[in-house]
Amino acid sequence: MTSSRKPPIKQGVEARADGGAHPSLTRKSGKGREGAPLLFLIPALVVVFAVLLFPIGFSLYVSTFNWPLSEGMGPRVFVGLGNYGALFTDAEFWNSLKLQLGFVFVALPVELLLGFGAALLLNREFFGARVVRTLLLLPVFFLPVLSGITWRFMLQPRYGPLSQVLVSLGIPETSWLGNPGWAYAAVLMQDIWRMWPFMFMLLYAGLTSIPNELLEAAEIDGAGYWKRIRIVITPLLTPTIMTALLLRLIDALRIFSEVFTMTEGGPGSATLLFSLYTNKQAFTYMKVGMASAMAIFLLVLSVVFAATLVRKNMSLDVLERKAGNR
Amino acid sequence: MKKIAVLALLSCIAFGALSAQSIKVLLWDDPLTKIIQSNIPDFEKATGYKVEVEMVAPPQVLPKTAVGVTSTSSDYDVVPMDEGNIPVFASLMSPYDSLPDGKVFKKTPKESVTPAMLDVGIWDGKLIAFPINGNIYVWFTRQDMVDNPKYKAEFKAKYGYDLTVPATFKQLEEEAAYFTSIGIGGFGPFNGGPAGVVAEAVYMWESFGTSFINWVGGKPKVVLDEAKAVMGMEFYKKLMTLSPKGSETWAHNERIAAFCADPKGVFTQFHWPSYIASYENPDKSLVSGKITYSAPPGGPAKRVAIRGAWAVGVPLAAKNKAGAAEFVYWWTSKAISQKVVEGNAIPARTEVLQDPAYAKNMPWLAAIADSMKYAVARPRLKEMPQIQDVVKKYWIMGITGQMPTVDAIRNITKETNDIIAKAAY
Repeated sequence: MTSSRKPPIKQGVEARADGGAHPSLTRKSGKGREGAPLLFLIPALVVVFAVLLFPIGFSLYVSTFNWPLSEGMGPRVFVGLGNYGALFTDAEFWNSLKLQLGFVFVALPVELLLGFGAALLLNREFFGARVVRTLLLLPVFFLPVLSGITWRFMLQPRYGPLSQVLVSLGIPETSWLGNPGWAYAAVLMQDIWRMWPFMFMLLYAGLTSIPNELLEAAEIDGAGYWKRIRIVITPLLTPTIMTALLLRLIDALRIFSEVFTMTEGGPGSATLLFSLYTNKQAFTYMKVGMASAMAIFLLVLSVVFAATLVRKNMSLDVLERKAGNR
Repeated sequence: MKKIAVLALLSCIAFGALSAQSIKVLLWDDPLTKIIQSNIPDFEKATGYKVEVEMVAPPQVLPKTAVGVTSTSSDYDVVPMDEGNIPVFASLMSPYDSLPDGKVFKKTPKESVTPAMLDVGIWDGKLIAFPINGNIYVWFTRQDMVDNPKYKAEFKAKYGYDLTVPATFKQLEEEAAYFTSIGIGGFGPFNGGPAGVVAEAVYMWESFGTSFINWVGGKPKVVLDEAKAVMGMEFYKKLMTLSPKGSETWAHNERIAAFCADPKGVFTQFHWPSYIASYENPDKSLVSGKITYSAPPGGPAKRVAIRGAWAVGVPLAAKNKAGAAEFVYWWTSKAISQKVVEGNAIPARTEVLQDPAYAKNMPWLAAIADSMKYAVARPRLKEMPQIQDVVKKYWIMGITGQMPTVDAIRNITKETNDIIAKAAY
């Protein structure tokens, strides 16, 4: 057995084939090169500042003003935390928050269950399996705006195909989007229909990466199908599930266009989700300060959600502990 | 260094000269503005100005104007305004009287539109934008159904008078009830955007004899008479029971589809004249040539037609005011108004609306002129977007039975008063 060890590379000095340092670089060693990493980071920092930090900072600044979208609505006035105070006493704000959280806590679990179930069912080879898996993904590729419009028309009592199917099943002709409860349910349905394949896609990819040996070993040890799902598949899929949930959570918190085209937040305020109300504050009521306060509130909410998900389920410690428990 | 300075100066002069020769116009996407856009090459040829058009969906005009026009700078030389937004932008617009005279096109006289239409562009006694379309409630009725001998006979047997285009609320209700009883949509309500819902509410309230908001001593005040307002809402609630299922969420698209594409869709409904082109396009409409146009049916108190027109103005900070003024004069000229009519759209100019040469082939023009006699505007104040949402919320709840109508009216009154109080006039 032969081994060829390369000479160690000295810090700040590029190694040459003969083991010596390149003469032109030796001069740059030491303090002169300490700033280099920062220099390389500058482009990334500039981008992060421009697309993330500055908008957040500016939104925070705007949220402390009574800031009309048009100068014709009056002057900008500093109100401190006044917009936040006004929000917390606004019944519509709490209603939109309740609807938004309801949306997240109903749609996401259902999508997860459907996606997980479909991934388990389709994680085997059969004739046409690839075609079936591909076709299942189609709703994800629908533009949200188109999805909203399509569902709006599909649910119209007189000429909506979905409505007609329901009538043919014996369900009385109903104005689905005209009733507050049904309209909210329809918005949820639309999102579940469109986004459960996204969950399926990620979970199926996760499933295929689980080594067969583990499943076979569990089977030899006497674990039945459901037990294998519970003690082998689910723990191993947890990081994938958390990633999928996190991605969907981000999406669900900023859902807008499909609901806007489907119900415009109505009837009344029955489907006026948080993002729709924020948009209304900015572009209908022209209260940019209030809209910014809502945006900051949503940011804080998103960070809390994301941090909880990541800290409790996706940190290295937790993953290692889970792996150790197996 | 000197060379650079000279070059920069020359560039500025060249840029300034180019700006002076071009105008930027914001337009909303609509059959009327498409006609205007198609004729712009003629304007450019006549004046030498280059016109840059930015055409956006109607709801986008408000934020575009709000952000793009201030008292010191303007992204546009000409901006359109829906009449409800006139109070928001009035302080940022050049009064029409202050615009320079045109070199090619004469300043359009104010008398070219009826006083009711001119009122669209007036704020604080000044004309700040010139009305450019004759958008006012017009009633659409299926004449083929009115003429159907079977329907005629059945209706007369049941109600004791002839089936005609509805001219009163009583006729409207009974005719709608008859058609509903034979499986045809009796009435086509509007329950879409808040501005449109307010139009329907104001139509009902004014027809029953009460206004919504009046300006009293320079301040807006809710003047809704509860009893009359409830009667108006109750009547609309009754009409909802005579409307097709699903109409609780109908906006313009659904109403056009129901009226034009479904032979048994809707017997009668209002629509804005700017949509007539869609109804009369034989490629898209099954009822083209089968519609009678009239002023809306009158209520117990009076006959009312809600106004919802657009006007064009020149911002105070427009870069090319002379060119912008020229464009406004051209747009509101008789020649362009005629082209608008010929394209099945509706100008504001009275003489063109009443031109006998068009009346024969465009029966809706007479109906529009008739409707203008009963013109009523929706309340105009800066807080109207918020008030519209309040009205829409409780109006829909009231007319669909989710809330007693009296409670809906009380909520509208209370929350509108709260909004006005917060605005601190």
